[in-house]
Amino acid sequence: MFEEKLKEFEPIFYPKSIAVIGASTTSVKAGSAWVWSLKSTGFPGSIYPVGSKSGCIADLEVFTNLRLIPGEVDYAIVAIPRQSILELLDDCVAKNVKAVQFFTAGFSEMNARQGYKLEEQMLEKARQGNVRIIGPNCIGVYCPEHKIPFPVGTLGESGSVGFLSQSGGIAAKLVTIGIARHINYSKGVSFGNGIDLDASDFLQYLAADPKTKTIGAYLEGTRDGARLFNTMKEVARVKPLVVWKGGRTDAGAQAAVSHTGSLASSAVVWSAMLKQAGAIEVHSMEELTDTLLILQQLKHWQGTRAAIIGGLADGGGGNSVAAGDACMENGLNVPPLSPRMKQKLSELLGEVGSILHNPVDVSQAQFRGLETLFESIDSVARDTVIDVILIQEDIDILLPIYARKGLEEINDFFIQLAGRQNKPIIVVLPHGSAESERIQIEQRLLAASIPVFCSMERAAKAINNINRYSCW
Amino acid sequence: MVKSQNLLTEVESKALLKKAGISVVEAKLARSKKEAISISNEMGFPVVLKISSADVIHKSDSGGVRLGLANATQVGKAYNEILSSVKQAYPKARIEGVSVQPMAPPGVEVIVGMSKDAQFGPVLMFGLGGILVEVLKDVSFRIVPVTIRDARAMIREIKGYPVLEGYRGQKPANIPALEKLIVKVSQFVEKNPQIRELDLNPIFAYPDKAVAVDARIILE
Repeated sequence: MFEEKLKEFEPIFYPKSIAVIGASTTSVKAGSAWVWSLKSTGFPGSIYPVGSKSGCIADLEVFTNLRLIPGEVDYAIVAIPRQSILELLDDCVAKNVKAVQFFTAGFSEMNARQGYKLEEQMLEKARQGNVRIIGPNCIGVYCPEHKIPFPVGTLGESGSVGFLSQSGGIAAKLVTIGIARHINYSKGVSFGNGIDLDASDFLQYLAADPKTKTIGAYLEGTRDGARLFNTMKEVARVKPLVVWKGGRTDAGAQAAVSHTGSLASSAVVWSAMLKQAGAIEVHSMEELTDTLLILQQLKHWQGTRAAIIGGLADGGGGNSVAAGDACMENGLNVPPLSPRMKQKLSELLGEVGSILHNPVDVSQAQFRGLETLFESIDSVARDTVIDVILIQEDIDILLPIYARKGLEEINDFFIQLAGRQNKPIIVVLPHGSAESERIQIEQRLLAASIPVFCSMERAAKAINNINRYSCW
Repeated sequence: MVKSQNLLTEVESKALLKKAGISVVEAKLARSKKEAISISNEMGFPVVLKISSADVIHKSDSGGVRLGLANATQVGKAYNEILSSVKQAYPKARIEGVSVQPMAPPGVEVIVGMSKDAQFGPVLMFGLGGILVEVLKDVSFRIVPVTIRDARAMIREIKGYPVLEGYRGQKPANIPALEKLIVKVSQFVEKNPQIRELDLNPIFAYPDKAVAVDARIILE
């Protein structure tokens, strides 16, 4: 599907050469930052800074005009004032640049009438000259595989999650959260006002891209709703599509006469559209990244029957009850374990002080050794009435009881268990006072492809989001 | 603000809907008391009288609706009362007359409507009628064209769905009939882009069918 997009977008995500227009040798400008970023991440193609004064940036010669660049230019990043934009587009056409990304802002998002007019003129020039536009008002492309970072941003590992965002700030945040939580991106794009290439184009590309298995999107509006709707319908059929719609509360207060008109706010219509298209709607950065994380780790999985294991050392009672509520309230089932398994657990842990139902409180294992703890968890994981295992691991409680060494052994066991179980193992690591240890463990588990969340609510919601997609 | 010529009357709206294959309780326009009585006699009692004026947006609030009229005397009296109370509420309204229709037996009240979204064009809404729509906003939406699968999902999405399945010994409503009705409304608005908003409110859902009891179409 949309295979033609692969070739069309090759110069955007895999350019052989990039020109950066608005690079200054003397002052720190966005253009210069881009040159430095591309240089430091080791972009494998040619980088051509273009600025008003000749000189050098990052050991690269600065050209005073795009047309003076000796080689071919696939992709241009533009960070110059909007007064010079149209002239620059002429240069791009003359130079046979394939795609131009405008960091430059101050168009329709600021001054509607003048901005739209300028955008129209840009679009006309681009269409005539066969140049594609990304933006304006955006930070463009992120492609770790081809070493293209966002400006002044770090490059994360290359992976299977693709994203698109109308907002540059949110695009950049997705990258940094991705680095922190091991959500590895195939590609990302911030497309701003999207006057030429817009959400539908990038969705089509990501659907066709063999490196992308899951797609996330942050959108605020669209200039072509019908096309977006139809594109999403097709894309969601082949890859999970998670969408966060921003600006939900800005309900257009139109003078509606019918009941329908008065109830059909923009937010509810977007929700309906996403549902109808088969996309997973999320409502925050947390939910977006949680869902992308779990989709990245658990491809082609679905299941609603959760086992909750808590009280690894102690404190399992109330927390397990709360964890059960969090799961049930977010669309999961917490079924009783099979009688055989309960029998096994009672032999392992004893009846007193344990909860052998589900949620399971295994805190009695602290008096019987880690082997007992591991065998108990292993047994629960094997129970055929269970699809997914959620483990509550409270570092604040574990650390004083088992010390660092014990903590490591416990997490080694989780990694080993996840490796030999085909049921997903998900770990919930709540924040607390032992934050540095918590982060270390989180990083280890994430590196071993175990999804980690800081609360049961967020874990349950993310799991439920996968099920929503699978059910569709 | 809607200009009155853009608001089709109930009689006009229902005629268009009927042509599109959507079941409606057919209404006829009576321009005088005499006409109202003779139409009622033809239709058979009980009947319902409603004010017919493109200037009257809230028919029941202005005393413009009378239900369950059992004989000619009641129809005549209701005709006079409707006219005088509407004239009080809307002194400037141009009144065409009253619409006369058979009193539909009670069913589960639902609403199906359409409005246009600035970004996605026509959208359909489904909900249970009356207070559930107005106060609780227990409604679902889908973008036109709405497929039968979408219609199924939008009916099941509302919180009040169990009411349609038959609550406390009530017979279940014919849900496939509602699904088909929604799809027909979707096709109707797709073919008629000049329609700006539409309300079928209420529709009575019965164990065997679904019929629009009142309808309003607003043109662009």
